[in-house]
Amino acid sequence: MDFSEAANRISRKFAKGGQTPDVKKIEGKLRRLVDEFGVQPSEAERSVTNELAKEFNLPAPGSGGSAGGGGKGGGTEEKKIADGVPGEWVTIEGKIVALSNPPSPSIAQSGVIADDSGAMRFVVWAKSNAPAMAEGSWYRIESAVVDEFKGVANLKIHSGTTIKEISEDRSLIPSPVPIKDLHPGIDSVRAKFIQEWDASHERMLQSGLLGDETGTIKFVIWKEPGKEKLVPGAVYNLFYAQVDEFNGRLSLNLNTATILQEEGEIEVSGGEVAVTGAIVHIAPGSGIIKCCPVEGCNRALSRQNYCPVHEIQPKFIYDLRIKGWLDDGEKTHNILIQRDVVESLTGISLAQAQEIAENNPLGMDEVFLQMRDTVLGRYITCHGREIDNRLLVNKCDKVVFNSGDHTALLNRAGGAPS
Amino acid sequence: MSTNTKDMGRREGAFEREPARRVFAAELRECRYQFKDGEDEKSPTFVLLPSGERSNRIFLVGTLTEKTRQGEQNIFYRGRVVDPTGTFFIMAGSYQPEAMQQLAKIETPAFVAVIGKPNLYQKPDGSYLASVRVESITVVDKDTRDLWVLDAAKHTMDRVDAYTKEPTPDILKAKEQYPTIDPSLFRKIAYDALAQIKI
Repeated sequence: MDFSEAANRISRKFAKGGQTPDVKKIEGKLRRLVDEFGVQPSEAERSVTNELAKEFNLPAPGSGGSAGGGGKGGGTEEKKIADGVPGEWVTIEGKIVALSNPPSPSIAQSGVIADDSGAMRFVVWAKSNAPAMAEGSWYRIESAVVDEFKGVANLKIHSGTTIKEISEDRSLIPSPVPIKDLHPGIDSVRAKFIQEWDASHERMLQSGLLGDETGTIKFVIWKEPGKEKLVPGAVYNLFYAQVDEFNGRLSLNLNTATILQEEGEIEVSGGEVAVTGAIVHIAPGSGIIKCCPVEGCNRALSRQNYCPVHEIQPKFIYDLRIKGWLDDGEKTHNILIQRDVVESLTGISLAQAQEIAENNPLGMDEVFLQMRDTVLGRYITCHGREIDNRLLVNKCDKVVFNSGDHTALLNRAGGAPS
Repeated sequence: MSTNTKDMGRREGAFEREPARRVFAAELRECRYQFKDGEDEKSPTFVLLPSGERSNRIFLVGTLTEKTRQGEQNIFYRGRVVDPTGTFFIMAGSYQPEAMQQLAKIETPAFVAVIGKPNLYQKPDGSYLASVRVESITVVDKDTRDLWVLDAAKHTMDRVDAYTKEPTPDILKAKEQYPTIDPSLFRKIAYDALAQIKI
């Protein structure tokens, strides 16, 4: 092993961060480890680097216990982005595909870096004094740390990291991932904008639902200069969007994404499903309800006509809905049935329900009871879209007795040896 | 990347309601074993069906032939619901006020759909009684009853078929708890139930 070369390599890493380790001392330590203790050269280099990092108070490398080490350069291994595992020191070459506003003054830059294997979020600490990187350029990043933040791998650039711009001019075409296969991190999707939702926060530019052949996912775009709204019904290629997870549900943050509209069409499965089973529970809040009349609100009011946002609303609007559980014997589905489907299923129209609610001594409860008695325990098939574990029913049929099914079951029961 | 953590995350937080099993009276009558899934006071209780499936809730449709009001201070109702294979014993007490009111109003005989929780009681003579604590009961028509017989027959045969294939922990437990019961018996029962439907 060429000790002085290795020692120089180590010292360069730290010199970048303004530290001046003693090259002779490093060389001595390496020599001692290798010659006296029979340590593998790569392992010796790694342990000296670690020791110095501790001394200079830098992030402890290899805390995840990367066994690799690698025979060639230093304690870090050249990796593809997709192979970066939290806890490892890595050297990667990639293209800055997105820069986002640093969320905190201790962060100089943040964004997304990609190569042909995948993409990852990165963070440059302000303390690292790293040169600013430009969107669209390629860099070789040596001795950065892959860390985990909110369950997602994240590249940390600290004072021991070397950044070099490299002259690469490849355009990366990430391959889209089917929506049902998305994982937290950075991914690309090709999807259709199928439903626009009201922005629930003043910093939100747009939110809604995207769909492809395999499923649907919520997305959000936060207000930022240069961000534009998507057009409902259009199909987009969304490169390097951030997949977030909250309460076990995934959503897409498109602020980091490169958004390209295209001409194609997507047959959105949208989680369109049909479930047949028996209605085993009708939940409170079903039947006739009062809704907030404020434009765009439409929240259900309490008995006192109180809207959680707009307070007392005497000029409420009536609506019908059924919330409940549809059970096929193996799994129970949470269902929400909209007004027109409730009308056809129960045979009670909104006008009739309103008449009952206003004139019957039990009021709205009477509508609930009548609907419960006509629906509960019945077999129905519900068609709709499943969102957040709830089936939003847009069509519903009563199951009718089919003598073909009967015969088939008789054959099955009698056909087997008894 | 860190694939394993996220797959778990997707499962968590989502509340899963216990499905209502479809079981004929003749099978429920054979149950002798119930257990709790977990140590917690609120952990669900399951009755193990001899065909090898746990049930915390059942859905049944049959004819309510009899109901009686009992108790002075704590009123509760008992009823008998008959399916093509036997009789379910149902009850609704003051802890199920909605179910009790529904049951109180129904005139016998009537086709009823019952959603409830099965429970096992040991009688003084040592024999077991499976009874269903009603969560909800409504009057339905004959079509719904016939649909249920098909549904219960299908699920019964699905269980019987699964019993002879890859054993699940519940199937192994059933073999241990009900050594004398051959589930193919329930296929025969399903056949008899189906044969009683007149078209």
